[in-house]
Amino acid sequence: MKILTLLSLLATHLSASSVNIEENAGQFFSSGHTNNWAVLVCTSRFWFNYRHVANTLSVYRSVKRLGIPDSHIVLMLADDMACNHRNPKPATVFSHKNMELNVYGDDVEVDYRGYEVTVENFLRVLTGRLPPSTPRSKRLLSDDRSNILIYLTGHGGNGFLKFQDSEEISNVELADAFEQMWQKRRYNELLFIIDTCQGASMYERFYSPNLMALASSQVGEDSLSHQPDLAIGVHLMDRYTFYLLEFLEDIHPSSKANMNDLFKVCPKSQCVSTPGHRTDLFLRDPGSALITDFFGSVRKVEITMETINLTEPIQQVEQNFVNEERQKETYSYVDQLPVSEIIHQKPKQKDWHPPDGFILGLWTLILLVFFKTYGMKHLKHIF
Amino acid sequence: MAAPLTLLLLVAVTVRAALYRSSLADLISERVEVVSPLTAWKRVVEGLALLDLGVSPYSGDVFHETPLIIYLFHFLVDYAEITFMLADVITAVALYLSVKDYNKQVFRKQKYALEADRYPLDCLELIRSPKEMQYIPLKVAMFYLLNPFTILSCVAKSTCGLNNAVIALFVLSTIKGNVLLSAIFLSLATYQSIYPLTLCAAALLYLLQRQYIPVNLRRFSFWWFVAQYAFMYLGSLFVIVGLSFFLLGSWDFLPSVYGFILSVPDLTPNIGLFWYFFAEMFEHFRLFFLCVFQINVFFYTVPLSIKLKEHPVFLIFMQLAVISIFKSYPTVGDIAASFIKHHKASSASSLNIFLVSCVLLACSALFPVLWHLWIYAGSANSNFYYAITLLFNVAQILLVSDYFYAFLRREHHLSHGLYLKRKDGSEATLVLK
Repeated sequence: MKILTLLSLLATHLSASSVNIEENAGQFFSSGHTNNWAVLVCTSRFWFNYRHVANTLSVYRSVKRLGIPDSHIVLMLADDMACNHRNPKPATVFSHKNMELNVYGDDVEVDYRGYEVTVENFLRVLTGRLPPSTPRSKRLLSDDRSNILIYLTGHGGNGFLKFQDSEEISNVELADAFEQMWQKRRYNELLFIIDTCQGASMYERFYSPNLMALASSQVGEDSLSHQPDLAIGVHLMDRYTFYLLEFLEDIHPSSKANMNDLFKVCPKSQCVSTPGHRTDLFLRDPGSALITDFFGSVRKVEITMETINLTEPIQQVEQNFVNEERQKETYSYVDQLPVSEIIHQKPKQKDWHPPDGFILGLWTLILLVFFKTYGMKHLKHIF
Repeated sequence: MAAPLTLLLLVAVTVRAALYRSSLADLISERVEVVSPLTAWKRVVEGLALLDLGVSPYSGDVFHETPLIIYLFHFLVDYAEITFMLADVITAVALYLSVKDYNKQVFRKQKYALEADRYPLDCLELIRSPKEMQYIPLKVAMFYLLNPFTILSCVAKSTCGLNNAVIALFVLSTIKGNVLLSAIFLSLATYQSIYPLTLCAAALLYLLQRQYIPVNLRRFSFWWFVAQYAFMYLGSLFVIVGLSFFLLGSWDFLPSVYGFILSVPDLTPNIGLFWYFFAEMFEHFRLFFLCVFQINVFFYTVPLSIKLKEHPVFLIFMQLAVISIFKSYPTVGDIAASFIKHHKASSASSLNIFLVSCVLLACSALFPVLWHLWIYAGSANSNFYYAITLLFNVAQILLVSDYFYAFLRREHHLSHGLYLKRKDGSEATLVLK
């Protein structure tokens, strides 16, 4: 009896989970994208902007952890904090005070570094209009089935973002860049996150479809930094990204958390500024968009109900073998290169020999001259 | 005479063998002063290797020697050192024999002149006696064999040694009076490098005089002899070129050998005058200056042969010197060939032999120094090296003109007496205009 109840429980559980599987499978195909890209940009230099680098690196870390490979991440860091000589712990960038979490790690791949992080390079990366000599790691090779995550952090203002202390990108430029990307079919859906002061101004001008934007603060508000570390001496993270990182740490590749959860990250009580978001250009319902649609990398799995009998073909051959009773030579792999010939035999060198006619002619002439010079009387000594 | 010659040959062969065994052989065979793109041994080996791989040795700008050299070294490549030593030995023996023969003729002519009372009385001391000329052939052979330039050229296995051997054999056969052999050796020499063509006139003059055919443009016998010689020369040249064609089955040795010599495409620095000029010449003028430079070599034939028609052997040596200065890729081997004229015992009348020899020595020493400074240290440039090249060639030209002057002065003294007087009786000196 007990066994029966156990079995029935197991059966119902299985059926329930199988139904879940169907649902999950169904959900896999609702987003319409086949690959994921991430463009993570830190636009500030100098040691006191440590937190911007830490912001970008923490998003990088999450995105990598959730499955996007380095080949699909364009990481742009305007300054090197890990190897800055003011860093008391070199080769580390911490996001939590007391050095709890090193977001630098040992497999960071920075694609644009230092002075390469410029407005022009950023826009060229987005639109794909790079010189032919640009290596693949510096290119955003997305297609119309790509979901792209774009994360910007730095110092901003109403309608602009400061790059490298010397230039700015405006929200109009950014919107036009996204429109170019849409027209060139360079994205399926794009998630734009910006953590700067007055960040919401940057997504005000977007007009291309399938864009979702989040910002850390509204127009007129400043995004604040989270906490300083007294040993390092600077603020380690910005508030919004700090709580974003906390949120993302709970996400795993098969998580079902959706965008609505993302909008709830860092409420005013924690962030002091009011995070904003924009979903009017997004064609799907944000509730149906998973976090992993943008922060992770999807693997296409095709579920099939067919079963393939693997043993049959071999049997077929054996039957033929038995039936025909012919002596077949054993099959073996053919060498791609005639290795044995190369190793064991030296190529036979064809020696050049002067043609016989030449030798004959030459020596006849020499003999003729000899006899002409010294007279024919010598001939009798030879013949 | 055979014993000292044999001793000399042994010494020379020993010196060369010793240098072959030492580590200097590799060093010397790479010096640009000793080997040129025409004569380098490295290129011969390269050409033979290409042939073994089934490719024409003249493809690519590697090999610029004649097909007969290919034939020769196809069998002798393992004995290359012995071949080159043998070539030097042949050159020395040929020179020895030719000078001996020539001395005999000089004495004969002198005897006739003395009997005919053609010499003024006060220049009897200028007349050569057999006693003082006894060691001249040996000295000539010694000069050639123990000349550092020759030794360097032999140790570097430069095919210039073979060229010198053929020229020496040509000189020997000319002086012996053998028309056919002279024509054949001259055509061989011309076949290898075009410039011995200028020796044609000298050989013709000598052979004409030997056969007592007067050198008179209006006489039929003169032209008949010239036609005979030209026929033999050109015929053997064509035969040799045809044989070369049959050796490799193609004509591409013609642009590689003769085109290379005449059009000077390779501007590696050497001790000649061509490379610097053509390195900085505009393409527009290149053909013009090429013609000028090449004509310069052949140009001195006519005036020299007119002036020296009584002394064709001296003419031969003058021509050799001119060739070695003005040819497109000279090496020290050619210089060695041109120093053969040192045996003339007229150094008493020459003006500044000492100065010129010092300049030559200094330049020879400075060549490797400035090369190192230019190429390796980077503190000099091509102008330094070219300056030394220029100086070397100027010294050579001065040497040639010195000897010319000495020779002419001696002849003048022999005909007009040792103490020259102007028309009014005061003392006069000879000046070479």
